[in-house]
Amino acid sequence: AADKINVIPQDFFAELCEQIIQHLNHKIPGVDTVELCQRLQTSGIEVNVDDLAKITNIISFLFSTAARNNLSTEDLVTALGNAVSTLPKHAVQVIRHVWNEQGKSVSMSDDPASMATVGQFVDIKWKLGVAMSSDTCRSLKYPYVTVTLKVADPSGQITNKSFEMTIPQFKNFFRQFKEMAAVLETV
Amino acid sequence: MAAAEQQPAAAEGCKPLGALLNGIAQAAYYGKADITEELLRGQLYPEAAPEEFRALRAKMGGLLQSIASADMDFNQLEAFLTAQTKKQGGITSDQAAVIAKFWKNHRAKIHESLVNQSCWDNVLKNMNWRVDLKSQSRHIDQINTPVAIVEMELGRNGQESEFLCLEFDEAKVSQMLKKLSEIEESMTALTQTT
Repeated sequence: AADKINVIPQDFFAELCEQIIQHLNHKIPGVDTVELCQRLQTSGIEVNVDDLAKITNIISFLFSTAARNNLSTEDLVTALGNAVSTLPKHAVQVIRHVWNEQGKSVSMSDDPASMATVGQFVDIKWKLGVAMSSDTCRSLKYPYVTVTLKVADPSGQITNKSFEMTIPQFKNFFRQFKEMAAVLETV
Repeated sequence: MAAAEQQPAAAEGCKPLGALLNGIAQAAYYGKADITEELLRGQLYPEAAPEEFRALRAKMGGLLQSIASADMDFNQLEAFLTAQTKKQGGITSDQAAVIAKFWKNHRAKIHESLVNQSCWDNVLKNMNWRVDLKSQSRHIDQINTPVAIVEMELGRNGQESEFLCLEFDEAKVSQMLKKLSEIEESMTALTQTT
């Protein structure tokens, strides 16, 4: 994965590191690797989501370890140099810069029990369609809604989960969230 | 007088016909693959010769398929069945009555089955939730805030599920409700125009 860092242009790599440190600072729920990957591919960079996810994990681990050990920027760069000798120069520059600017505000909790075990809901996109006919039924005519949930898993990776609902299923889904809101209000 | 060919006694053929239609539906729409032709013949038309029964089953199956595919309403069905009684090699008016009664009782369920058969994407199979009081957190400011923990079971029909466990604070639930309201508005607009 370290060699894949070579193919990522400096500005994209800087953006990635920014997102990672913002996630560690709890400013954003996670790193949107899918979206970043799409933009990289559009720019003609050959990289897939898995590669990007691996790189994200490596950098995230790097920053969180540095935070736990209260490393200064110079210590971090030294440690980096010892661990990964094949990192391109621009990557080291980016890491040094990001850590210098925002490293101090990353606080790592020592208590593993406080680590989230559930994902975070980020956003929902939807589309409403009507299935008109199929090979088994010429007159289907049923409306359904497709939703895509953007979720951040505990490690901070953002993924999309999509599924379909018929009208009755949707109504039930809606009702459950209304109930949730009511309970949250009273607690 | 309907031009029907030789078939098992017409008058009492009506009771087994209803059961035959049910058997055909079980196999075609309700997924009961073990309801074979032999089984049906043995149980419903024991006196009929195999080829005779095969022809009857094929004819009834074909009619049911046409009716189900068009999801016929009462008027369409009446017109369709009347035409069938006038055809050479069609059905008797008694049989038409049995078919009409069967469709009336099974239409919704068969249509639902056809709808499910054309759903190949993930569906929400189940959903559970509870509200917790967050007592530990990375953030001091999140202590003692209520959060909803939602577990969603997602998967394709007949395949293994994936369980998605998500946390929603009050703001996130509001965000969700806002989007769901949008969906509901669109649905209402849609069902009003169709």
